[in-house]
Amino acid sequence: MSTKVNRRDFLRAAGVGSGALVFGSYLTPALQAQGLIHNLINGFPVDGIPVVILKVNGDVVIITHRPEMGQGIRSSLAAVLADEMEADWKRVTLKQADADAKKYAVAFPAPVESDVPLPFPYNTLSKDPKLQYLISPEGSQFTDSSRSMTAYFTVMRLFGAGLRLAMIRAAAKKWGVDAKACRAEKHRVYGPSGQSSDYRWLLLGAKKETPTYDEISAALKKPEDFRYIGKGKEPMPFYDALDLVRGKSVFGADVELPGMLTAMIERCPVANGALMSYDAAPALAIDGVRAVLPMFPPGKRGGGVGRGFLPHAGVAVIATNTWAAWQGRRALKPTIKWHVSPHDTYNSVAFRKELEDATSKQGNAVRKLKDVDDAFAQVGVDTKEAHYYVPHLAQTPMEPPVAVAVFQNGKMEVWAPTQSPDYAQIWTGQVALGIDPCGMTDDVCNEKARQASTVHVTMLGGGFGRKSKPDYIVEAAMLAKQMPGVPIRVQWTREDDVKFSYYNAASSQYLKASLGADKLPTALLQRSALTSFFGTLIPNYSTPDLSQAEIKGAADLRAATFGGGAYPYASGIERAQGLEDMPYDIPNIRLENCKAENHIRVGWMRSVANVYHAFAINSFAGELAIAAGRDQKDYLLDLIGKDRIIDEKTFIDQSVERFRNNELPLAAIEVPTVKGGKANQVVAGFPPDTSRLRAVIEKVAQESDWTNKVAKYKNMKGRGLGIAAHRSFLSYVAVVVDASMSNDNKLTINDVYATIHCGLAVNRDRVLAQMEGGVVYGLSYALLGEITVKNGAVVQNNFDDYPVLRLNQTPRIHVSIVDSNEPPTGVGEPPTPAVAPALANAIAAAGGPRLRAMPFAAKNDSGSTDEKIVFL
Amino acid sequence: MSVFQLNVNGKVHSVDIDGNMPLLWAIRDVLGLKGTKFGCGVAQCGACTVHLDGKAARSCITDVGVAALSKIKTIEGLSYDGSHPCQKMWVELGVPQCGFCQPGQIMTAAALLDEHPHPDDATIDAYMSGNICRCGTYPRIKDAIRRLGGSATS
Ligand code: FES
Ligand code: FES
Repeated sequence: MSTKVNRRDFLRAAGVGSGALVFGSYLTPALQAQGLIHNLINGFPVDGIPVVILKVNGDVVIITHRPEMGQGIRSSLAAVLADEMEADWKRVTLKQADADAKKYAVAFPAPVESDVPLPFPYNTLSKDPKLQYLISPEGSQFTDSSRSMTAYFTVMRLFGAGLRLAMIRAAAKKWGVDAKACRAEKHRVYGPSGQSSDYRWLLLGAKKETPTYDEISAALKKPEDFRYIGKGKEPMPFYDALDLVRGKSVFGADVELPGMLTAMIERCPVANGALMSYDAAPALAIDGVRAVLPMFPPGKRGGGVGRGFLPHAGVAVIATNTWAAWQGRRALKPTIKWHVSPHDTYNSVAFRKELEDATSKQGNAVRKLKDVDDAFAQVGVDTKEAHYYVPHLAQTPMEPPVAVAVFQNGKMEVWAPTQSPDYAQIWTGQVALGIDPCGMTDDVCNEKARQASTVHVTMLGGGFGRKSKPDYIVEAAMLAKQMPGVPIRVQWTREDDVKFSYYNAASSQYLKASLGADKLPTALLQRSALTSFFGTLIPNYSTPDLSQAEIKGAADLRAATFGGGAYPYASGIERAQGLEDMPYDIPNIRLENCKAENHIRVGWMRSVANVYHAFAINSFAGELAIAAGRDQKDYLLDLIGKDRIIDEKTFIDQSVERFRNNELPLAAIEVPTVKGGKANQVVAGFPPDTSRLRAVIEKVAQESDWTNKVAKYKNMKGRGLGIAAHRSFLSYVAVVVDASMSNDNKLTINDVYATIHCGLAVNRDRVLAQMEGGVVYGLSYALLGEITVKNGAVVQNNFDDYPVLRLNQTPRIHVSIVDSNEPPTGVGEPPTPAVAPALANAIAAAGGPRLRAMPFAAKNDSGSTDEKIVFL
Repeated sequence: MSVFQLNVNGKVHSVDIDGNMPLLWAIRDVLGLKGTKFGCGVAQCGACTVHLDGKAARSCITDVGVAALSKIKTIEGLSYDGSHPCQKMWVELGVPQCGFCQPGQIMTAAALLDEHPHPDDATIDAYMSGNICRCGTYPRIKDAIRRLGGSATS
């Protein structure tokens, strides 16, 4: 659907130009017309505001609709509302929302007019032309892409300010004074002549108040009046801290229901495999084992490539406790025979070669500026080229996947740690209805499925993208369906988690530059091959058992949505993460995407495609700088060039504008002025802005005492600094690593400095925490982690052979924030991408080898010819 | 199946279970104390750390039969209200992110500080390296222990 509509009206609706945002929540399209607070009944939800309940005693219950996985979003978003509301945090309690994607979506109240085809998701998700979303149902609870605060900051502020305004007006009426002479502070309204009243006594009056959107908007606080937000008067609350340190918070595995049984599943090690036969007897002989059930009937293929969130084929052992299920599974395992799968010849070492062959040939151009070939063909031109490689990586959140489901009266009820409550609801609802999963694409089917399942979201023991994919929740539902009335908990082991992830893509990156007399590039070619997650999420020609019509349907669907791209190429989402938005100011540019098939399930891990794109481009920049004998930081700033917005005109595919910028719908709510840009340069939001990239580089250089240290280390053997900078999820991060290399190739990381520009840092302490954790996460995969595959099965098992960073290996980490009052942008993922290349550059600067393949630290069985270092 | 007397957090429970069942599952599934977490099952991550007679132990590889000989303490027994110095310092410094590893981290840190009230960095590293935190809260954990041990620099 390409709604041909008028751009000016679209922008006006989005709050640009007129200065007024038209805004309404999905449930109450007429927020302003019907009034903000009516139908306020003691202890019940405030109509029009799906995230607040006011109690009869004036206490506030804030519904936290975004899952909490360690990013602190429960406290942060609630505190934003409480801040604007002037609620006393002592009187705030939080309640985690069930899956209810539409309830938390935000729609334009009127048809949206635009003279350009509306980009995804607007073009596909709503069949009702009157309903265009600022935040689509698909994104309203999907806690992914570091977007919670970006999307909901303004929404929560508006809700809070509306409540405050209603309280003030109710008090003013009661006292017969001008509302403008009253103010609210911490659950009380104060009048002009000493009167004051607790919110509690104003509830009934407030119920009748109907402030308009414009009035609420005008009542929003100035940054200096913030109580918790940013550098507010009081520290930002951390609601869950006390429960977390007491072991009281309820994670997925902690859900306990009467009569609940625990299942462990022996899965087919290969994607798209099927069960042939098994013998239940040895497992049933174990004390406590109640049932042995196949996930799919023998012969029917389970999940894998092109199968979305469908679980792998498997056989479940269901028992009265975890240990019994585990023992039963051990007894069952030798009895199982699997059918062959088209992917059981997949070998990751050979596949790397395939990827590198792909990037050694021309791919599909995704961005083009003038002619790189011409530049490369100049007589006597100095060129440099390099291949970089990043293997498959597993997220390994601390809490292995787990989910509980019970099937009763035709409905599914689920408890799960999930980043995607809506996917979980749709897919488990489909199980309840007994229909083949039709994925996340058919509105009618999805809606029916939502009605058939209730999903309660628990705390997540980490997510990192693993828990965006609800396959483990679908498993619980599939087993619950087979044992109606019995709650079933599916508990994954760490081995299951390592072997059955949706892995981050394996990627080969090829870079080539021609250099001018000043040693700066005159042309840049980058080729990116990556095993796109869309090869796993959407069926394709390699998916077994599909008809030609189904293959074509899937291809059409993919072309029309999710940033386009056809199997086996990357999607617009992946291309937008560090490839198309490559920030260097070089006269000739060609960026290409090369082919890469899926042979195991591919998903995403913290920062996704930025992992390999940031690694390659920043490492290449470091190589060029060091070869030129230039200061890395100065050279990087020269590459980035003058402050500007990246010119999207050079992008080949213009149909996925928003995802190219990695923009999210609510970016439209507050549109920063485009510096020096024409009005129609970008639709809205946060285009790649090199002045922010420069700002983080300059700040991290200052924090790390870059210039002095560079001078000092020049005369020291075996010590060096490395720098890298990257934009992702709308934020900008620069990292400096200070490393030492010994004569015997041993690495010591002395210090890591990291600086972020994330607009307004709403919850400063959690931003710092995400930065610290993001550095640790980045060091983990840069140095240690590698998933390899033999005959279609993942080789690694647990933290012994898929190691992650430990406390004794963690360097000193110094994090800082660029002060800004601009709209907030992502924080969870942006800290990681620049870490690996900064480390690689530091190792090279310290006299170590140039590391072009992760993981950097030598492993016993790697068998690769890559340069490695030793890291203990 | 055999009957074991488990002394957990000062209370004796009589449980009739498989003697090979790791203590972790007895605590979680049988006694219903959910604060002790499962992270790896092979003594790699420390999420399951409890105290056996005051010493940190990985409950995922401790047979329940062995544990029955000791006084067992779980995170729920460290303090009921979060008043243990480690818990207080953890809250003050905002150590937890997702929090899943933190009961194990705190149990290990508490045992460390019992044994070495003023640990140096090498001791902290040695004790804490068995506890993984995927959220990467290590810098704050280290800071918290240093402060508790009186060697804080920040
Ligand atoms: S669960 Fe025991 S050490 Fe990981
Ligand atoms: S706080 Fe999440 S694993 Fe440690």
